[in-house]
Amino acid sequence: MTKSIQKTILICYFTLFLTALFFFLIISLKYTEKSIIHNSTEYTKQLTQQVNSNIDYYITYMEDTTKMIANSIDVKNYLFQTESKEARAAQYARILGQFKTIMNSRADIRNVAVISDDGQNVINRGTSWLNPYIDITEHIWHQEVQAGDKEFVLSSSHVQNVIAERYDWVITLSRALYRADSDEAEGICFIDLNYNTIDDLCQNVSLGDKGYIYVLDDKGGIIYHPQQQLLYSNLKAEVIDRVIEEEKNGSSFVEGKRNSRRVYTMSKSEKTGWTVVGVSYMSELMKEKNHAKMLYLFIVLVLLLATGIVTVWLSRAITSPIKELIKSMQEVEKGNFNNVEIENMKQNEIGALSKSYNIMIREIQNLMEQNLKEQRQKRKAEMKAFQSQINPHLIYNTLDSIIWMAESGKHNNKVVLMTSSLAKLLRRSIGNEEEMVSIRKELDYTETYLVIQSMRYQDKLEFDIQVVPQILDQVIVKFTLQPLVENAIYHGIKYKEGKGIVKIRGWRQEDEIVLQVIDNGRGMEPEERDHVLDKRKKTPKSNGVGVYNVHNRLQLYYGKEYGLIYESEIGIGTTVTIRIPREEVEYYEL
Amino acid sequence: MNYRKYKIILPLFLSVFIVIALVLYYNNRMQQKQIKVIYVSKNADTSDFWSALVAGANMAVKEYELDFTIMAPEEEEDYKRQNELIYEAITKNPDAIVLSPGDYEKTLEAAKEITNNDIRLVLVDSLLKEDVADCVITTNNEKAGEIMGKYARELCGENIVVGVVSHVKGSSTAIEREKGVSDVLNISANLEDVVYSDSQYRKAYEVTKGLMEKSPNINVLICLNEYSTVGAARVIHDMGLDKKVKIIGFDNSLEEIKFLEQGVIDGIVIQKPFDMGYLGIVCAVKLVKGELVEKEMDSGAKLITKENIYTEENQKLLFPFWRE
Repeated sequence: MTKSIQKTILICYFTLFLTALFFFLIISLKYTEKSIIHNSTEYTKQLTQQVNSNIDYYITYMEDTTKMIANSIDVKNYLFQTESKEARAAQYARILGQFKTIMNSRADIRNVAVISDDGQNVINRGTSWLNPYIDITEHIWHQEVQAGDKEFVLSSSHVQNVIAERYDWVITLSRALYRADSDEAEGICFIDLNYNTIDDLCQNVSLGDKGYIYVLDDKGGIIYHPQQQLLYSNLKAEVIDRVIEEEKNGSSFVEGKRNSRRVYTMSKSEKTGWTVVGVSYMSELMKEKNHAKMLYLFIVLVLLLATGIVTVWLSRAITSPIKELIKSMQEVEKGNFNNVEIENMKQNEIGALSKSYNIMIREIQNLMEQNLKEQRQKRKAEMKAFQSQINPHLIYNTLDSIIWMAESGKHNNKVVLMTSSLAKLLRRSIGNEEEMVSIRKELDYTETYLVIQSMRYQDKLEFDIQVVPQILDQVIVKFTLQPLVENAIYHGIKYKEGKGIVKIRGWRQEDEIVLQVIDNGRGMEPEERDHVLDKRKKTPKSNGVGVYNVHNRLQLYYGKEYGLIYESEIGIGTTVTIRIPREEVEYYEL
Repeated sequence: MNYRKYKIILPLFLSVFIVIALVLYYNNRMQQKQIKVIYVSKNADTSDFWSALVAGANMAVKEYELDFTIMAPEEEEDYKRQNELIYEAITKNPDAIVLSPGDYEKTLEAAKEITNNDIRLVLVDSLLKEDVADCVITTNNEKAGEIMGKYARELCGENIVVGVVSHVKGSSTAIEREKGVSDVLNISANLEDVVYSDSQYRKAYEVTKGLMEKSPNINVLICLNEYSTVGAARVIHDMGLDKKVKIIGFDNSLEEIKFLEQGVIDGIVIQKPFDMGYLGIVCAVKLVKGELVEKEMDSGAKLITKENIYTEENQKLLFPFWRE
């Protein structure tokens, strides 16, 4: 299959553009996704830091408060000194007063308590008591306080069962109590932060409809997770190990596949050692990406449309002048030089080509005209040569015959006829420069010649001219018949014993005019006949204007399909047939 | 000339792109289409069990971004009102209805109507007499009974004499739990007696007292719901039989936990209503999306003893913090 330039351009452009647009789309979307993730990570990071600092605020408060309580002389005295009942009662009242102040001022504080190892205690507003069925020393946070490694111990979220009848979800900050004069921990002081505080804090953080945050303690235990129940039931899994691992690098990461792809962003608090993890769902973040996708697609569509139009316009702009050229060339191929020049050229390569083409066409046209002119001149020259080549022997012989007849004095009439015929012949042959003559004139000339010849060869030559009158006004190339007749006499009849007859016949045959010169002379051998039209052969006896000359001129004039046809048979005679087109041929005046 | 070809190629490219764009657009739309689910509950009470179940359901609702409604009769025994609610729910033309049937038989007709309207039906917590639901999520009560029986055997060894304080005679949960207990204990003769509390604390107290007076050699009481457990614990505590009679309870309440801490109750088997609610909604969503789901799912049961009340995991099950 051949591809036109236009098609090639179209296909190339479309392929190129589609590829470019495709990459544009991919890269834009990738970039959009990247920046969305980056932005969301930044945003989430700030959120988690915010949550962390809020938690830190609560913890700091608890830390300070326990410090104050632990260092209180009243607490130390009440728990560790055996003093008078009155003094103890006063101390107890003061401690309770302090506790009340704390609990009244802070709704998020669930419990405040000091408990000595031997069971002395002050709890909340004095209306709560220890749960008799629970051993406080079994609590991990209590054990850690006793171990004395840290100034204070922060528990994970848990149900506070130490205080009877309460069972609150809390976060406990506890601290060891010392006697005024000892380094041995002999009691504990703790404050419970209502877990709801953390819960509210975390739940109020919005990370889209599905996103959430969760909090891990320093050991990786879950302090808060919205789906904690599901995690315990193994209905959901959380990537806690990876969070702890990645947190050390301080980076965020993406977990999960397809619709459940999530971005994890971590922030760890120096104070509590807790890690707040923000989880955003990619699908929600990517809603914006989808909007971007639609926008990009729309742009692509518009660009594609524009490209389509531009490409079609461009390919047409390139190929249409070429097509015009082709069309013009096809006309020239047919030989039509009229109206083939290219107009409306542009100032580009094709324009230059068209310009050159126009010049070339003009050049060809000039050359052809010149050629035609030269041809005519050549013919004219030949004609002249032919005219000047009227056999001088004929003139001498005719003159001799006239002299001979005049001397005998018997043939006055014949002398007059012959002399006038000779004069006529000479005048015609020298006279005008016409190339074409009417058949009538040509016949007239030939008849004059025949008259002269028949008078010279009195008993040997007769002639008979029968031409239909309709063709008499048709034109024919000059000197067509006479040389043929001369040829018939000198090569045919001259060698014949007895009387020779030259017949001239003329008629119309369909679109052609046919003239025949028929003699009953010696005839020709077949190979002689076949070569009679070949070339300008000069036999000693010919007058130099060969049959070939006539044939050649006819063909030059009327085309290759016209000309002479020779038929001949030894002993019977020769027939030359002239065929020319019937239509009126333009009369060239040179 | 090829002009005609281009006239085909160009719109072809364009239409391909337009089609892609449209597909993307509608794909987007489809994903955003909300699934509508209605939960028809047994009752509107705010007990731990139902609160946990609803909390679990809400968790799934948030996860799948559902259009979710809860409909509940004022009282648990009011199956007529529940049936009305079911018909009302059907007229709202949801994609799925999650149902906790109020009655084993009398809810059946309404439930059938749900499936007749080409709405997916998921049962949670309780069963129906006929298998009409697309998916059922319950505690495997027989298994729960087995857990209780095994623990009773563990506590008392071969000298076991069992009393059972069941709840509603003939109810599916009672039958299954009883079956689980007796299957494990194997010797029905050891099942000294079965009494029914009718899900009332006072009645539980009385029938347990009667049972203990009638069969004083009982050394373990297996109680099959929260009412029965609390009633039995109260009477045993009052009679001063804490040490002599072991109590294995069912379900979870603060009073039970206190008895557990005291040592009056020796163990309780708890269900996982949060999981039940969550799984119920998840199943409904999966059914609507045409995904495969297990026809019957066990949301699980767990034995809690004094020693493991305060483990990280059990705290969450026993003390749901949405209490406040």
